[in-house]
Amino acid sequence: MNEYAVEIGHLTYRVKKAFTLDDLSLRVPTGSIYGFLGPNGSGKTTTIRLILGLLRPASGSITVLGNAVPARAPAALARTGYVPEAPHLDPTLTVAEAIWFHSQFYATWDAAWAARLLDDFELDRQRLFGRLSKGQKGKLMMLLALAQRPELLVLDEPTDGLDPVVRRDMLSALLEYVSQRRATVFISSHLIHELERICDWVGVMDNGRLVADVEMERFKTGMKRLKVSHGPTHTEGLPFRVLTRSPTNGNGTEMWLVRDWAPEMAAAVAAAGGELQQVIDLDLEEGFVELLRSFRVPRTREAADV
Amino acid sequence: MFRAILYQQWKWTRIMVGLATVAGFAVPIFSVRYATRNMEHGQAAAFLDGVQTWGVVYPALAGAVGVLIAIGVWTADHRGRHVYALTLPLPRWKYVLLRFAAGSVLVAGPIAGVTLGSVIAAASISLPAGLHAYPFALAVRFALATLVAFTMFFAVSSGTARTASIILGGLAALVVIQVLLAATGLETNILMPVLNAILTVPGPFAIFSGRWMLVDV
Repeated sequence: MNEYAVEIGHLTYRVKKAFTLDDLSLRVPTGSIYGFLGPNGSGKTTTIRLILGLLRPASGSITVLGNAVPARAPAALARTGYVPEAPHLDPTLTVAEAIWFHSQFYATWDAAWAARLLDDFELDRQRLFGRLSKGQKGKLMMLLALAQRPELLVLDEPTDGLDPVVRRDMLSALLEYVSQRRATVFISSHLIHELERICDWVGVMDNGRLVADVEMERFKTGMKRLKVSHGPTHTEGLPFRVLTRSPTNGNGTEMWLVRDWAPEMAAAVAAAGGELQQVIDLDLEEGFVELLRSFRVPRTREAADV
Repeated sequence: MFRAILYQQWKWTRIMVGLATVAGFAVPIFSVRYATRNMEHGQAAAFLDGVQTWGVVYPALAGAVGVLIAIGVWTADHRGRHVYALTLPLPRWKYVLLRFAAGSVLVAGPIAGVTLGSVIAAASISLPAGLHAYPFALAVRFALATLVAFTMFFAVSSGTARTASIILGGLAALVVIQVLLAATGLETNILMPVLNAILTVPGPFAIFSGRWMLVDV
């Protein structure tokens, strides 16, 4: 088994002059649930489409389950379940027909589990796909992805716009499958708190760049605000990364936004001549917002060393 | 896989295939009935004129069947912006081949209709002396013409809207240029060479031109 289910190396992709993924490198550990965060237009869906071989990169490499993509995309797709941002099934097929159609393409199709999920999700077999509600379409897409028993699940904002009950049903089915199969999940979402609960790894995209790629726990515990008095001019030598620093008043006290923080690093601030007054916790959403903000401030600040 | 693709295409094209099959069956029968009514005192020439009047319907039907089935086989994918199709675990060439093969099967309905109608029509009349019925030749020609139209428009329809726009835009540009040339009094004709290249041997649509006769000398 490969150490990484998905490996992207120095990937470049351009759509005319409008959008660019530039030198993107990313690795999704096998067996992990990888949350892929980013604001609208940051490149999440484009990255997912590149991973699936739907788009061709200008340069760089993509490997999915050991298969180079797009050259060996069919081999990778045979072991990958995909739930797209917007369902793209034939609207004239009924639910039962859509399931049958999909099953014809996968040797690993689990008909018994598909039938169970159909009951669990309370989907009407005879209803046309085009007449399903958004939540029902999402459930059907999740059913199709899970019943092919994939080693990798790629989910592009699968629960976006769905009500909490549908979200819970879909995520329950997903987690049940992952716990049984030890499958890898690559999930993009705007719902940060949802990812916080289920993911053990997180990547953050902004404007075509990957600005964070860390274990969830490290991301959550390592993002802090530090209130520092008489902070040093340069912070390069500190064991954590200072993303931004801003004065809080005129007496030399600053608020630092830092990454990779650990409690034992407090002494390092003092060693650099500063006085650590307070360590303020951030939840994932705050950390996510602050991280993006730090990447968008003018690079004249010292934080540009990230 | 093939069954799944065929079933999906059947759902999109079944009404059109059904109507075309009925039309294909009916046209030869109506054509000989019309020709028989048109015939006076057993004159072969009048009979042939009657058959020939209906002859234009066969290439028109073949073209319509080919075009509409070619469009129909891709409609589901176009609607889904090809995302679902491209995430299926098979090479793109194989997927296209499956769609083409399934479309070719659907084309068989109208072809069977024309074949059966032609055979029944030919068997139901007593021909004037010197005339012969060619039901199978007509059916084979209809089949080839339908497949040519299907193949050509399958290729166009399989591309993006941009590809189709370029092809249709090119044709429209030719017509506009010809109209402008005529308006300025120039006698240059750029449309005829193009039409000749397409509609005469060895042009791709040469099979559509000429006489389509169920009964001939």
